Parts: sequence; C-alpha cells; structure tokens
Amino acid sequence: MAETGVSLPPLPVPDELTKPFWDAAREGRLHIQRCQACRRYYHPPQVICPKCVSSSLEFEAVSGKGTIHSFSVMRDQRVQGFEEKVPYITVLVELDEQPLLTIVTNLPDAAPEDVRTGLRVEVWFERLTDEITLPQFRLAR
Amino acid sequence: MSRLKDKVAAVGVGYSAIERTSSRSLGALTMEAIRRAVEDAGLAIEDIDGLATFPEIPVFGNPHVDGVDVVSTSYMVRMLGLEGRLRWHTQTDNLVPNTFIETANAVAAGACDYAVIFRAMHNPGGRYNAYTSNLAVGRHQFTAPYGSHRGYQYYGSAYQRYMHLYGATREHMATLILNNRRNAHLNPNAYFRDVPLTKEDYMNARMLADPVCLLDCDIPVDGAAAIVLTSGERARALPNAPAYVAGYGQFSSPSLSMGPPLEHLVEGATAVADRMWEAAGIGPGDIRLAQFYDGYSFFVYFWLEACGFCKVGEAFEFIQDGRIELEGELPVNTFGGQLGEGRLHGMGHLAEAVLQTSGRAGERQVRSVDATLAAVGPMNGGSAAIVFTREPV
Ligand SMILES: [Zn+2]
Repeated sequence: MAETGVSLPPLPVPDELTKPFWDAAREGRLHIQRCQACRRYYHPPQVICPKCVSSSLEFEAVSGKGTIHSFSVMRDQRVQGFEEKVPYITVLVELDEQPLLTIVTNLPDAAPEDVRTGLRVEVWFERLTDEITLPQFRLAR
Repeated sequence: MSRLKDKVAAVGVGYSAIERTSSRSLGALTMEAIRRAVEDAGLAIEDIDGLATFPEIPVFGNPHVDGVDVVSTSYMVRMLGLEGRLRWHTQTDNLVPNTFIETANAVAAGACDYAVIFRAMHNPGGRYNAYTSNLAVGRHQFTAPYGSHRGYQYYGSAYQRYMHLYGATREHMATLILNNRRNAHLNPNAYFRDVPLTKEDYMNARMLADPVCLLDCDIPVDGAAAIVLTSGERARALPNAPAYVAGYGQFSSPSLSMGPPLEHLVEGATAVADRMWEAAGIGPGDIRLAQFYDGYSFFVYFWLEACGFCKVGEAFEFIQDGRIELEGELPVNTFGGQLGEGRLHGMGHLAEAVLQTSGRAGERQVRSVDATLAAVGPMNGGSAAIVFTREPV
C-alpha cells in the first residue's frame, strides 16, 4: 500500500440511500436530505425521519455556505491514498441551513495555520472520476 | 430506584498478561483471565453457570476469527468445558459495561448464580486501525474520501472545539496523562508499569492529528480481563469483600450529525450520567473515586462534566492541583486508565472500580471507598456508567 506510491484515496460507493447526494454532486450541486413533513435536514441521509417518523424524505439544494465548527490536522499516515497528503486538514462544517447540520470535508487550498473555528467556508466540487465528484470546501472570500 | 441494590455484587477479578504482542493466542489469554477471576472469587470453573462478553475488534477490516482476534461466548463455553453446566449466556453489542449490566440483571433475575463477564482485545500489529480499502461504502462514504477515519481525527475535532471554547491547552492535559502514568506504576497488570513519563515527553510527543498526540491515545495490546458476578447473598459467603452494583445508566442515541459534534457527545454522556445517579440514589458528592474511559485522554473531561463533578468547560481546571491524584479529593483512573494499563476497551475501568470498592487494589488502594463509579464509552451511543458500593444499601 504505502510502499507502492500508487494507492488512491477511498472512492465513495453510492447506495440506495445516498445516490441522490452523489448524483447532485456530479452536477456541481450540494443537495442535502430533508424531511418534507417537519422540514428537518439530515446528513448522512435517513430512511425514516428520526424526529417525526415521516418516510417522506427528499434531497434539496442548500446554499453550500457554512462555518467551521471544528477541525483536525492529520499528520499520521493512516488512510490509504493520503500518505503523500499529510499534513492535511479535515473540517467539520456546520451548514447555514440548520444548527449542527454538519458535513466532513477538507480545505485543500488552506494551510493548517489559516484554519480557525468560526471561519466562513463555501462549497466547491472536486471531480474524482466520471461517476464521482466530491463536495469540498474553501475559506469564503 | 434500582432493582439491583443488594442483589448483585462483583466478587472476583482476573487479568491475563497484557503485552503489546503476545506469543499466545487471544483464546489462551482469555482462558487465563477467566481462570484467575474465578479463582480470585474463591470459586471453581464448574461453579460458573453464566457467561457474557462483547466480542468485537474495533479495527478496520479485521477478519473476526474466534480465538484469534475476537473471543465469543460460545468459544469460551467450549474451552472452559461448561457446555453441560451453563444456564445463561449472552453477547452484547456496544461496549463492555453494557455486557456487565446485562449480566447483573441476569444474576438479579436468578437466571444464573455465578456469572463471568470477559473482554478480550487483540492488537493485530502494523499500523493500528488503518483504512486499507480503495472503496468507501456505507457510513465511510462521507468520511474516508476526505482522509477521515481515526477517532483521533473526528473525536479529536470535538476536543479541538472544547479547547477553542474554554481555553484548555495541551499543558492542562499533561496533568491527566502524568496522573494516569503514575497510577500505572502501582498496577502490576499495567502495560506501562515500569515506563516513566515526564511532562516534556508529553509536550514533545508525536502529533497524530492536531490537537491529539500519541500519548493522548491508549495503547493497543493483546490481553483479556474478567469479572465474576453473583447475588448479594452468595457474595457474602465468599472470601472477598463484595463490590455491590448500586445502579447504572446506559443508552444514549447516536448523533444524527456527522462528527459527532462536541455538543452531541456532551448530550450523550449527560443522559447516561443522569440515569446512573437516579438509579444509584446518590450523587457526585458521595463518590470517593472514579474511573473514566480514556480511549482518548479528553474523554475524561467530557465524563467529569457530564457526571457533574464540575461544570461544563471546567474539567481541564478541575483536574489540576492534585485533585485527581491518589491522595486527592477525587482520585481518577487509579489503575492508570487505558492510557497506562492498555486498551482493554473499558474492562480495566470496571475491574478497577470493583477492586477499589472491595479494598483490594494493593499499593494504589484509596482509603474509605464507600462508593465509586466507572463511566465507559465515547459518550454518545454504546456508553454506560455503573456505581459500586461497599455496603449493600
Ligand atoms: Zn420529520
């Protein structure tokens, strides 16, 4: 693995529940699942709304804007495909649409010393394959 | 109020050797731990009619081969020759305190007379719990593609937020790390029994994922531990002073958010702690010492606050000035924690609570232990906390 120098980062495998998320990302849009009965957002997606038990859950476009809730600067080689990327930043972004509606992302363009809790961020899209595009974030201008 | 009061007591504790990599199989280590626990209780293997464990290796992609990297209840039934004798057994999900609680309830209900709870942990070698697939399926699809996999990243982010909100520093944490290591020096079972540690060692330790360094993480080991439970009445006829199970709290819903965010960890631990106090009928002021889960060092802060020993955002100050040392007002992780003893996934915390309550903790015994607690787990989902008392009521 690490020795070969050719390992790739883990590629998302969309499933029945998550396919709409990845379909939207491929087209450059951030869609998050929302309960059509109580209007609550969920990420990761749910089968039944845990708050109101409605099965009416649809994906809706969100603003792609949010705030850095917390972060970590990874220095250890412990994830395949990321051996050459250390140190890299993983961020928990709180999306504007709902308190503690969080999404994990990197800030590929930022240096560790530029990252602080509370900074504003916005989504962009990193194309990995024909099928998979990864929502990523950057510091808001 | 708890139905368990005066009904169930822990009467024996046993450890296998704890090594980084053992030359013996995990199955053999588990037999050793169980035999020692049963002998410690003043019983024979033939007396055991209840058996329970949490058989899991929390490592990405490990094969789960019985006796090699996990040990199931049915495996041990056969190895101990208990097939014709056993009256009750179970395997639980979630962490081992939940197994303990299941077993306590089985004993209280009369389903078995003498039950053993065991936990076996295997260190597979190489880089512990690395992500070694080029695919990210299920819950991994929203994390692994971003290089996020290890708890020191995602729980570490919650710690980063804690530090940001309340002003905690790595220097504050050094106090806890050194406290655990000092206590490990007094624990014959501890992996780090003979390895000294200084504040400089901690401050200069290799960073795994800021703000978490190597010494904030427990040490993966090969090893097993076991505890014997029986009824209060039977316990009083056995040689050791019983550690009565006074009450417990368990279950907090897993976070629905990614992270999980600090706020949900606090919420989860508080739900568990509140139920524990209600069931035990006592409060933080009655507790002489406490064992808090330290798979990651900072979990201790969250548990201290959730259990009400200090206010939210104050644990990093609470642990200073000798307060959590053996001679202090609330000794914490008196066996060295998992940071000092090794990664037995919460079993060490339960074992130490039993030994201290029973007055059998050797050189590290705290005086006048009327009540103690063990709070185990990563706050939300899978966590549980148990109060032990020296007297049955
Ligand atoms: Zn709903």
